[in-house]
Amino acid sequence: MAATHRGRQVVRYLPVLPAAVLLLVFLAGPVLWAFHASMTNVGLTGRHARNPEWVGLENYQRLVQDPVFPLSLGLTVLFVAGSAVLGQNVLGLALAVLMRRARPAVSATVGTAVVAAWVLPEIVAAFAAYAFFSRDGTLNQLLGGLGQPETDWLYTVPMAAVVLANVWRGTAFSMLVYRAALNGVPAELTEAAQMDGAGAWQRLAYITLPVIRGSIATNLMLVTLQTLAVFTLIWVMTAGGPANGSTTLPVLAYQEAFKFGDIGYGTAVATVLIVIGGVFGAAYLRLLREQRP
Amino acid sequence: MKPRGSTWADVVLLLVGACFVLPLLWLVFGSLDPAAGHATRVPQQPGLGNFAAVFTPGLLFLPLWNSFLLSTGTGLVTVVAAVLAAYPLSRYRSRFNTPFMYGILFGTCLPVTAIMVPVYGLFVQLRLLDSMPATVLFLAATSLPMAIWMTRNFMDGVPLALEEAAWVDGASRLAALRAIVLPLMRPGLGVVFIFVFIQAWGNFFVPFVLLLSESSQPAAVSIFSFFGQHGAVAYGQLAAFSILYSVPVLALYVVVARGSGNALALSGAVRG
Amino acid sequence: MLRRAPRTLSLLAAATLVLAACTPADPGGGNKTIKVAYQKTDSFTALDSMLQDAKKEFEAANQGVTVDLQPIQANDDDYGTKLALALRSPSTAPDVFYEDTFKVRSDVDAGYLLKLDSRLAGWGDWGKFDAGAKEAGKADDGGTYAVPLGTDTRAIWYNKKVLETAGISVPWHPSSWQDILDTARKIKAAEPDVIPFNMYAGKGTGEGTVMQGFYELLYGTGAALYDQDSKKWVVGSTGFKDSLTFLDTLYKEHLAVAPADALDPNIWKKVFGEWFPKAKLGATVEGSYAPSFWQAGGSYAWPGYAQDMGVAPFPTESGGAPGAVSMSGGWTLAVGADTKQPDLAFNFLTTALNAKNSLKFTVASSQIAVRSDVAADAGYQSANPFVKDVSGLVSVTRFRPATSDYPRISAAVQEATEAVITGKRTPEQAAADYDAAVAGIVGADKTIRK
Repeated sequence: MAATHRGRQVVRYLPVLPAAVLLLVFLAGPVLWAFHASMTNVGLTGRHARNPEWVGLENYQRLVQDPVFPLSLGLTVLFVAGSAVLGQNVLGLALAVLMRRARPAVSATVGTAVVAAWVLPEIVAAFAAYAFFSRDGTLNQLLGGLGQPETDWLYTVPMAAVVLANVWRGTAFSMLVYRAALNGVPAELTEAAQMDGAGAWQRLAYITLPVIRGSIATNLMLVTLQTLAVFTLIWVMTAGGPANGSTTLPVLAYQEAFKFGDIGYGTAVATVLIVIGGVFGAAYLRLLREQRP
Repeated sequence: MKPRGSTWADVVLLLVGACFVLPLLWLVFGSLDPAAGHATRVPQQPGLGNFAAVFTPGLLFLPLWNSFLLSTGTGLVTVVAAVLAAYPLSRYRSRFNTPFMYGILFGTCLPVTAIMVPVYGLFVQLRLLDSMPATVLFLAATSLPMAIWMTRNFMDGVPLALEEAAWVDGASRLAALRAIVLPLMRPGLGVVFIFVFIQAWGNFFVPFVLLLSESSQPAAVSIFSFFGQHGAVAYGQLAAFSILYSVPVLALYVVVARGSGNALALSGAVRG
Repeated sequence: MLRRAPRTLSLLAAATLVLAACTPADPGGGNKTIKVAYQKTDSFTALDSMLQDAKKEFEAANQGVTVDLQPIQANDDDYGTKLALALRSPSTAPDVFYEDTFKVRSDVDAGYLLKLDSRLAGWGDWGKFDAGAKEAGKADDGGTYAVPLGTDTRAIWYNKKVLETAGISVPWHPSSWQDILDTARKIKAAEPDVIPFNMYAGKGTGEGTVMQGFYELLYGTGAALYDQDSKKWVVGSTGFKDSLTFLDTLYKEHLAVAPADALDPNIWKKVFGEWFPKAKLGATVEGSYAPSFWQAGGSYAWPGYAQDMGVAPFPTESGGAPGAVSMSGGWTLAVGADTKQPDLAFNFLTTALNAKNSLKFTVASSQIAVRSDVAADAGYQSANPFVKDVSGLVSVTRFRPATSDYPRISAAVQEATEAVITGKRTPEQAAADYDAAVAGIVGADKTIRK
């Protein structure tokens, strides 16, 4: 009986196989490969290209001593906190709340504008952002019209520029999630609170936000991890410069592995990135589980 | 629901919306300006010369066709694999479900940039470098976690009772899935497909690393060599190309947004 | 493009099927294909047209052989990355490819290049190649792995009009760094909206920063990057600090471009295409290939360049012997180690580099000839008014240390210059950072204080 039960169980789950194989080969495999390669000195060229040697934790030791690494780690945290947790998340929520109060035509128009930046191919979005912040770009022309002096945004404040660009690019996702979440908040709840004399802010803080906290946690997790992986936007806008002023971990990993041909070292950087992603993911999952009875 | 509309909300929204449109101005002006630089300005003598210049098979059609193949292939593989995987996860109770779904959720977290180096290594080892089908499979794998998550949520929305009625009539599970469940999920599957398609269409990094020969480069990569190498004079053409490259996905999005009432279906599926 | 259509179609069919994991690399049964990878950009088409000619010639002479030209559209840095990516996998490695001289050794170490000695011995033309240039194709084992296409030197290119307006007599012949600064300051005073003297710096311009800039400074101080005798990297030299200080002065006094412009990878296009022709730039350090951009058919054709431009050797720090500094690089053609048709590939290489094709390429890209018959050709000598000046610099020129560590060391140098011109570090601090970086890259035991 138990055997046939198990057999049926296996047959039932057979359809999961194609997806499972794809995920194992192309996601789990490379992650394991990354752990392995980060402990070798495999290179793009040179004598270790085809005959890499096992070097243990040498790459990680180098990482700790590399002055660029702590800088890069800090910039990554700044980038994620600034553009995902604060920027996209809060602006997305604010937009969703405002859209419920605005005229439908206005909210539809603005919604389309916000979503357009998100649907755009990443390379086009990145170049549009580059042109916007460049010295004779749109931003300076607008500020020039207001009598402000020209600033080289990508040079003087590269992080601010890429953070804003990423907020521009990614807010649509949070906005869509929160619009759906707000639609799910029962109208009776807020109306009852209104009867009791609660102001708009109070209703938001004490009724709406607690009800949608599950969505907030999911959204935070997804935007954090999406932002952690952003490469093209930064690469096109600043290429990590000036003087490593915007070299986040993905940019650093790319530079080390492909530009300097040190695949082992670049993979060590990438491994750190995977671990950070894993820690964030686990933390949010815990948060989610506590939400649900 | 009573009609609402507060003026200050309108004003704030419109201001934010304007900020979102601003960076796109350069694309529009630049594409129409035969003498465009990377400065934004209203074209003095607007014309379609830039569009005419990029309207060649090598510059425009081949890369777009490659993008189309990559995105369609990825979309199809993903949707098929996601539907197959979602069915048992949605319909059977098992100890296997929860860990698998958490694993999947974890997969959505994996920064693709971080595994590009190992994936490149894997492709070298398997001799799959520069192979379009292999690139499609990889792109499908990266979008699968999100797709399975969304598909399962859509499938949970289809009542089991409908399916059971079909079984009573003697239909197999597979037949019931095809005849009853999938048609009911069509809008949802459309959303998943479009979601995956748009992501694959815009992806730059994956084809940049995995595809090498010029004849298989999608638009995302051909545009890169375009502005990486072309002299300052080609900004107008770059803008024109960007627009031609973006229009298909923008149009697709609008179609879906119309079709499913609004864009909410997508995020509803993400709610989890 | 049309010729590609059938192959593309079959590729598409395979892609839509998705299940087929591999696409056929060979288009047909008995036909042999030679895959050639090289760089092509809209401002560098000389190589493309040379290889197109060679393809026609070669296919006519070898029935049944197809030469599959695969241009890679990328700048030097990205080309290097893409080529390395392709070389790493035997299935995508080209049979013949365009290879930067400074990558030859590390690619030989990696086992990417085929040893050519036995084949070169049977090639009559090989004796006509310049002995110095041949060195660039050699690896540590003494074998030859690549055949030079041409070489280059670096010098100061200056706009005579700008100098004359500032009251400086031409031909200009600076004899020390101080001379350069004095002249630049004079230009600055006389023509405030002109960039007096630019030198590349920062990571944006990549190898351009060091080849057309920092090394001219460093080697003029008596210091070196690499000590050939001990095979160790030099750290802590005064020359390194002096060189950074010179850049610091140039950028701080606004004698060079704004730092933000210097970090733009495309700044060289402005130098050639905009600032020199419009007399907005006094002088800069650039390669002997500069006229290739300005001559008829070049990407920034400028009929007046022969009259308006002048060239001068870059001086040593205080005018000490040998009085001038120059750097040389250059590119080669090499054969892939995994090629299935080594004989055909090598034969194609010799067709591409025969006297006729070499001459055409050398003239079109303003290279310095490496074949004696090309160097003696009247067409080469009269290709532009500067051939004699820049060829003369071969006597003082230097080459980059061609070790596998070099690309990272070069990046560390570029980073040091970037830190200085952006004002993030003083020259002393940046030099100390560089020393630490070098020790980190090669290990402290491979460095030497000089």
